[in-house]
Amino acid sequence: MAAIIADNIMSPLGSSSGANYQAVKAGKTALRLHNHEFNLPFPFTAALFSEEQKEEFTINGLTLFESLAVTSIRKALESCQIPMDNRTCLVISSTKQNISLLNIEGNPPENVLYPGHSAERIAQNVGITTTPIIVCNACISGVSALILGNRLIEMQEYDYVIVCGIDLQSPFIISGFHSLKALSETPCRPFDLERTGLNLGEAAATVILGKGNLTDKWHIAGAAIRNDAYHVSSPAPKADGCLMALEAVMKEQDACKLSVINAHGTATLYNDQMEARGICRAGLSDIPVNALKGYYGHTMGAAGILETLITLHAAEDNTIVGTKGYEELGVSGNLNIVRNNTTTAKKDFVKLISGFGGCNAAVLLTPCAPLGRENGQEIEAQHQVTITPQSVQIDNKMIDTGQLRGKALLTYLYKTYIQDYPKFYKMDALARLGFITTELLIRKERGAKGEEQGARGERAVIFFGQSSSINADKEFLASIADPENFFPSPASFVYTLPNIVNGEVAIRNDYHGETSFYILPRKDDDIMRMVTQATMLDNYHKSIITGWLDYKSEEDYCAELRVYNVITK
Amino acid sequence: MEELILELKEQIIEVLNLEELTPEDIDPKAPLFGAGGLGLDSIDALELIVLLEKRYGIRLASAAEGKSIFTSVENIAQYVSQNRKK
Repeated sequence: MAAIIADNIMSPLGSSSGANYQAVKAGKTALRLHNHEFNLPFPFTAALFSEEQKEEFTINGLTLFESLAVTSIRKALESCQIPMDNRTCLVISSTKQNISLLNIEGNPPENVLYPGHSAERIAQNVGITTTPIIVCNACISGVSALILGNRLIEMQEYDYVIVCGIDLQSPFIISGFHSLKALSETPCRPFDLERTGLNLGEAAATVILGKGNLTDKWHIAGAAIRNDAYHVSSPAPKADGCLMALEAVMKEQDACKLSVINAHGTATLYNDQMEARGICRAGLSDIPVNALKGYYGHTMGAAGILETLITLHAAEDNTIVGTKGYEELGVSGNLNIVRNNTTTAKKDFVKLISGFGGCNAAVLLTPCAPLGRENGQEIEAQHQVTITPQSVQIDNKMIDTGQLRGKALLTYLYKTYIQDYPKFYKMDALARLGFITTELLIRKERGAKGEEQGARGERAVIFFGQSSSINADKEFLASIADPENFFPSPASFVYTLPNIVNGEVAIRNDYHGETSFYILPRKDDDIMRMVTQATMLDNYHKSIITGWLDYKSEEDYCAELRVYNVITK
Repeated sequence: MEELILELKEQIIEVLNLEELTPEDIDPKAPLFGAGGLGLDSIDALELIVLLEKRYGIRLASAAEGKSIFTSVENIAQYVSQNRKK
């Protein structure tokens, strides 16, 4: 079992967790209206670091993204002594990393900007010697990263895991959300009747997890990631994944002990309504609910960690922070939204979050030392499909695809083996590759046994890659690169998150288990096996589709996926 | 109007990647969204908003505004012919 032994928040509101909590408690907000920022042709409200703040944390030789991560991690390390040996690991949570540096001129080269290489520079600068792991699960990345860190310690793979969530804003991200009509020009109003959309924000938040049941420390007592299997960018109207995640973390928890559910509360019409539905369906509508986007905006990869930390520091101060921007209930159900700061004697809380790709996550935090869990599950490989631009192999047997290569090969495979899913043509290249590979895998599985093993819904989809969504990133960038022809494409933008492919597979097959995308500096079978095993600690899944999935270009891609059955010992 | 309807069909097929369809497959009166139509979704609606702005100089403020326009190709053509700026 892991405990939180140190933490830090770097945001426009301050450079420590304490300063941030005090600012939030005092009702301060980092949201400002920006005109002409980043040369964008529209005004927007966001929580951005000032130029002075950026100068303070800039480190020579590192990008701004890397500098901010290193600074936040160093500040967290100031309050604890941990050995930087092979028992300490770094997990980064981020959606778009160094995206502001990607340009059509190709300088710096894109491989320098690969998230894994960036994470290695961060690790090196804080003295970490093991291979870092990046969690890229859209908006739930921060909570996903906390869950992964907790599991790795629970499995005794590491004694310490440093989890850092971070994202900075850029024209790329802001124009993307603008094209989705998701931005509010004024400060956002979570759960309010008048809410019109979200604001974006910048932050880094670090949690250092250490082994041991420490009575005076906070622990993650419950954790779950579930997929809606509904749509890649619209929340499920019945909140299926959100409900499943909530039910999983509340399974052994007395709801009376909960002080608050800290919701995602982005202030978009659909997200807040979906969360309200999920909370009500889980029978938790009496529990106070708050949301922190009115202070920080949506800090993307940092959000799950930052908001968990603010809620935790508030609980230590016997406080539930008010939901800035909220005045009148604007969601269905009799939800108990906390408008102003209130006092509470209860400590335990749930952090709830959801994101593109249909993913939802919930964690239960408690200051008491929870009981350790037995993991009586092992995985057993069933089938494997490998696709590269040159060849297709099913269970190591080469499939004849004639002279077809590259992108044409994927279209050929769709037309030959699938045919009934025209949505394939709307997918970006990474999603097409993942979709086709899993389809062939499932066909093989069905062919051998007539049906997939276990309940379909209880299947996890866990992918690993190196270049993230680089192909989709370049496509979206092309739609905003020319100021005279500035028409950001919403369909391209959605695919600039690599975990959309997990969502596509979940939707096609009605899989409701965990869906996660991890980025590594390079293919590493040991780390992939370790993270896959960690997923099994959930004790929910009956089977898992997992493996390497990377699409750099038409000439350079690789999918090597396996289906495993979960065996209970 | 016939010409504009054909142009819109070609544009819709291109920007929404409806690769297996030809303009003849699209009934100009048929619903674009939901069952019985082309089965387009919310992201497609946003792409149609971009299409109207890029090609015809028509700016829609919200996705909700698009909803009443994107009912059928014929309806879009009518709206475009009345509001186009280029």
